[in-house]
Amino acid sequence: MRELIWRELTQAGEEIVREFAHLLPRLIEMLIITLVGWVIAIALKWILRSALRLAKFDKLSENSGASQLLNKAALPSSTELLSRFMFWVAWLGFILLGVSVLGIGGLQAHISRFFLFLPRVFLALFIVFFGMLAASFFSRATLLAAVNANLPSARLLSIAIRTLLIIFVVSMAFEELGLAEQTVLLAFGIAFGAVMLSLAIAFGTGGRDLARQFLEKRLVREEKSEKEDEPSPL
Amino acid sequence: MAEESVLTDDLVRQLINVGEVDILVGLPTHNNAKSVGPVVHAIQEGLLKGFPRERVVIVNADGGSRDGTPGLVTGASIDDIRHGYKGYALRTLHSISTRYANNPSARGGLRTILAAAELLRAKACAVVSPESTGMEPEWIPRLLRPVYHDNFDLVTPIYRRHKFEGLLVSNLVYPMTRALYGQRIREPYASEFAFSARLGSHFLAHNPGSYDSDGSGAEMELTMSAITGGFRTYQSFLGTKIHGEREGGDLVPAMRRTVGVLFSSLEANVAAWSSGNGSQPVPTLGSESEVTLEPIRVNRKRLQQMFCAGVAELEPVFRSILSAATLAELQQIASLGEDDFRYPAELWVRTVYEFAASYAKSVMSRDHIIQGLAPLYRGRIFTFLEENRSSSAEEVEKNIESLCIEFERLKPYLLEVWNTKK
Amino acid sequence: MPARLDTLWYKNAVIYQVHVRAFYDSNGDGIGDFAGLAQKLDYLQELGVDAIWLMPFFPSPLRDDGYDISDYTSVHPNYGTLDDFKKFLAAAHERQIKVIIEMVLNHTSDQHPWFQESRSSRENPRRDWYVWSDTDTRYKGARIIFLDTELSNWAWDPVSKSYYWHRFFSHQPDLNYDNPAVREEMWTLMKFWLELGIDGFRLDAVPYLVEREGTNCENLPETHAIIKELRQKLDHEFPGRMLLAEANQWPADLRPYFGNEDEFHMAFHFPLMPRMFMGVKLEDRKPITEILQQTPEIPPSCQWGLFLRNHDELTLEMVTDIERDYMYDSYARSKAMRLNLGIRRRLAPLLDNDRRRIELMNGMLMSLPGTPVLYYGDEIGMGDNINLGDRNGVRTPMQWNGGWNGGFSAADPESLYTSLLLNPVYGYQAVNVLSQKRSEHSLLSWMQQIIRVRRSTPVFGSGSIEFLYPANHRVLAYVRQLGDETILVVNNLSSSAQAVELDLRRYKGKIPIEMFGRNLFPRVAEAPYLLTLGPYQFYWFRLRRI
Repeated sequence: MRELIWRELTQAGEEIVREFAHLLPRLIEMLIITLVGWVIAIALKWILRSALRLAKFDKLSENSGASQLLNKAALPSSTELLSRFMFWVAWLGFILLGVSVLGIGGLQAHISRFFLFLPRVFLALFIVFFGMLAASFFSRATLLAAVNANLPSARLLSIAIRTLLIIFVVSMAFEELGLAEQTVLLAFGIAFGAVMLSLAIAFGTGGRDLARQFLEKRLVREEKSEKEDEPSPL
Repeated sequence: MAEESVLTDDLVRQLINVGEVDILVGLPTHNNAKSVGPVVHAIQEGLLKGFPRERVVIVNADGGSRDGTPGLVTGASIDDIRHGYKGYALRTLHSISTRYANNPSARGGLRTILAAAELLRAKACAVVSPESTGMEPEWIPRLLRPVYHDNFDLVTPIYRRHKFEGLLVSNLVYPMTRALYGQRIREPYASEFAFSARLGSHFLAHNPGSYDSDGSGAEMELTMSAITGGFRTYQSFLGTKIHGEREGGDLVPAMRRTVGVLFSSLEANVAAWSSGNGSQPVPTLGSESEVTLEPIRVNRKRLQQMFCAGVAELEPVFRSILSAATLAELQQIASLGEDDFRYPAELWVRTVYEFAASYAKSVMSRDHIIQGLAPLYRGRIFTFLEENRSSSAEEVEKNIESLCIEFERLKPYLLEVWNTKK
Repeated sequence: MPARLDTLWYKNAVIYQVHVRAFYDSNGDGIGDFAGLAQKLDYLQELGVDAIWLMPFFPSPLRDDGYDISDYTSVHPNYGTLDDFKKFLAAAHERQIKVIIEMVLNHTSDQHPWFQESRSSRENPRRDWYVWSDTDTRYKGARIIFLDTELSNWAWDPVSKSYYWHRFFSHQPDLNYDNPAVREEMWTLMKFWLELGIDGFRLDAVPYLVEREGTNCENLPETHAIIKELRQKLDHEFPGRMLLAEANQWPADLRPYFGNEDEFHMAFHFPLMPRMFMGVKLEDRKPITEILQQTPEIPPSCQWGLFLRNHDELTLEMVTDIERDYMYDSYARSKAMRLNLGIRRRLAPLLDNDRRRIELMNGMLMSLPGTPVLYYGDEIGMGDNINLGDRNGVRTPMQWNGGWNGGFSAADPESLYTSLLLNPVYGYQAVNVLSQKRSEHSLLSWMQQIIRVRRSTPVFGSGSIEFLYPANHRVLAYVRQLGDETILVVNNLSSSAQAVELDLRRYKGKIPIEMFGRNLFPRVAEAPYLLTLGPYQFYWFRLRRI
């Protein structure tokens, strides 16, 4: 009896050792690939960072307002961000390669599914990021234009535009991720439609005169007497 | 140099036919059929009286007119076939016209005129606005003689104006240009001016793309180019200025064309404006300025109200542009009633300089910065109108002069804000 | 010393070759001198030249027009004193004109003290300074250069009873460059002149410095080594000075003389010159394009020296026999005009005094890649006198005006160093500087204008060249380019009007601006560009994109 157990144990032990021995070279391969990948990823990050520094990328992002956004979100500068992003993408790619070398079946499929999902996440983040930028740009543009056209409650208008754009962008992001698509779409449609309808009613009835004046100023060019209100600047 | 040529084949052919000239008068147009006729006649008379022996050409750079403007210009040429002129002309006076684009742009028009002047080797070139119906023939020699005979490079005009016209120029563009670049050019953004072959070639070679996106500030760029390039400038008194569509109209586009270009020029020319103190008068023919005083209608209240609304609503924008102290002072003024409201010169200068520094650093989209300045400008104008409500011509000039001195005095402040957090 | 050192000044210069003896006589002895030349510097400055190349003026028995030198550190008394030379040099530099002088390295006069010592005995310390031999059979591979006067490269010296080596006239014994003392001494002599301030040397007869058995004794590696040594010392102690090689060789054989930018700065392009004359006579561009195609690329700091005529005969050494016969038949019908495998005529007589042809040849000279060298008198179209011996027919006195001795000298006409030209076509009353100055349309005024246009851009001196090969072979057309400046040159080599279509697609959109009148020509399009040219006419166009 004891011999049986012992034999089974040794057999099992041998199995394990054998499996392990089988696995070991591949494990070592995976570790090597991961290590090499880490070095390459660091190199790529360094190259990208230098290139962006040379191209004064930070200045560009400051110009477009991206830096401010990042600052508010307590994220590092755009150059730094992009470089780190490159690093992670590169290294994760190598890790995947390493794992595939291990040749563990199911793990493979799961990991590939995860990696397939990743681009969509990036795209969604991308949409949100640039959407926020656009929202702040357009809301500011609206604010300035409204103030200079002497429209009342310019601030309200600008906030409204910004909110609408943010909602729009977030919905797009959700759709991209494929999360609760229908719900979000519907909710957005209803909200947007309601806002538009109420604005139209308000504008049409209450703002009749204002609307007329506004349109006249924009489309009818002959009446210059209004311009006499302000002396010509040049 | 741009890859795309500024000159169409048709224009090149016309230039070959004209050949070398001594004087070229450029006329940029766009749908000016109503006013261009008298302008062309005034140009012709001016050329024939002022330069009877010289070889001259009128070059019309048209931005896609649909009302027959180009035909009116070329129809007025004087040669052996047609006798459109009552006086006597020794030579053929060429008039050629070219369409440089389907949409008007000041840069396109000016570049076409500059290129034509360079290829025809004109020694002196003048540009005239097709809307200056009040133009007299005498304006042409007054603009061109300093260039043609006395070797000046840029001649800017001086007009007889109403004391409340052109306030953007007299309250911002003129004082700031003067304080920074040391030259007292009264009308740096003019619709009539003259320049030499030297300046034209220099501008053409060094300004391929430019300071503003739609190219409407080209005249200002030329003036900036002349000042920063060390060219000889001159001023000629012309006469009463008639306002065309380009000069009047909305404040914000006007600011883009002048203040935008001026702010943009600061970055590239730091060495030129950061040194030097004070300013020099520019040689001038005729009176330094003339001001008419007839009363005109101005809605002052609206100005003050737009200032206050602007200061309130644009606070987040201003926080990124102005210093905390300046912003606080502006908010304090905004809270005053119409009678107590006063936007003092010193604060205005500081405001402008802080805007200029923020523009250079691109704290936000540059166009937004310019738009943000507009309501503040309105507040300043309100004060100016109040202070000069019953002033005489000399008093108005004196007030503008003291504003200029203020700009000059606070130049170190500009350097200070320019250099911080760079 | 020039204030700003431009070490590549020779690339964009125009050089004027002159013999001081022939230019202007200031002291009335019938021979031109340095004081006189200094007085005429204003004329040269007005002409627009950047440098003067002086023919030899060292003390010499003058049996080879000064190329036989008997004293290397002095000035021949006929031309003045060393002081006169220094004053002239200072005056030239004041007018921004550089001065290049001759240095004859290969040989000296037999009257030189060194040779006198060398021949006196075999034990003399200077014996080894020349090449002596007991027989005249050594170096059989070397050709004889002065075929019309010499029968051998060895001459018998009765004093030391041995033969001495001479590649040129027998009274010009070759120096022995295998002797380090010789090399040292020649550098010391060059230094003497460099320290005075001269801007460059034309080194005469460089291929023949060293001889070796079993070779043709030309262009040997040892010769190049000597030149490299000289250049190194020059760059080290006198940067910005120039060495110009006189080496009548095929272009491929000339290339080694530039070395790796460590030998000569400039060398004359001998083979091009006769082919320009041939091209015009044949009314075919082939000779010119061929020789330039065969011309190798030279290092960027080096430069070809181009010329139409010089003090020597128009050499036909570097052409085939067929070509030489053609040249003789076209340009030198009379045997008296031929000398030493060449034609001893000036530019104007060679071109039948045809103003259009003279302009065309000068136009090509000024627009082909290289530095043009003008021969004195050719700017006014002076003639020649083939009845004077050797090559003296092209070395007659400069004709300044229509008066006494053509304004050259106040001496008796019979006492001039050689007679003036007197015939009604080329004589001094017909062709002189004064009358040409008074007309805007004289050859002199035209030369001033073309020099001015050439100097207005560095493209001609420093730019690349690309030939266009239009179907009309009578038209020689090429594009010169430097940076983003492009110049199109079109020459009509024929005596009748021509039409030519040029393929300028590469330059589509550019506007040609003719460089003399600065007028616009129609814009270059996709289609072939049509040009019409009058007889012997040429155009220079600046291709402008605006």
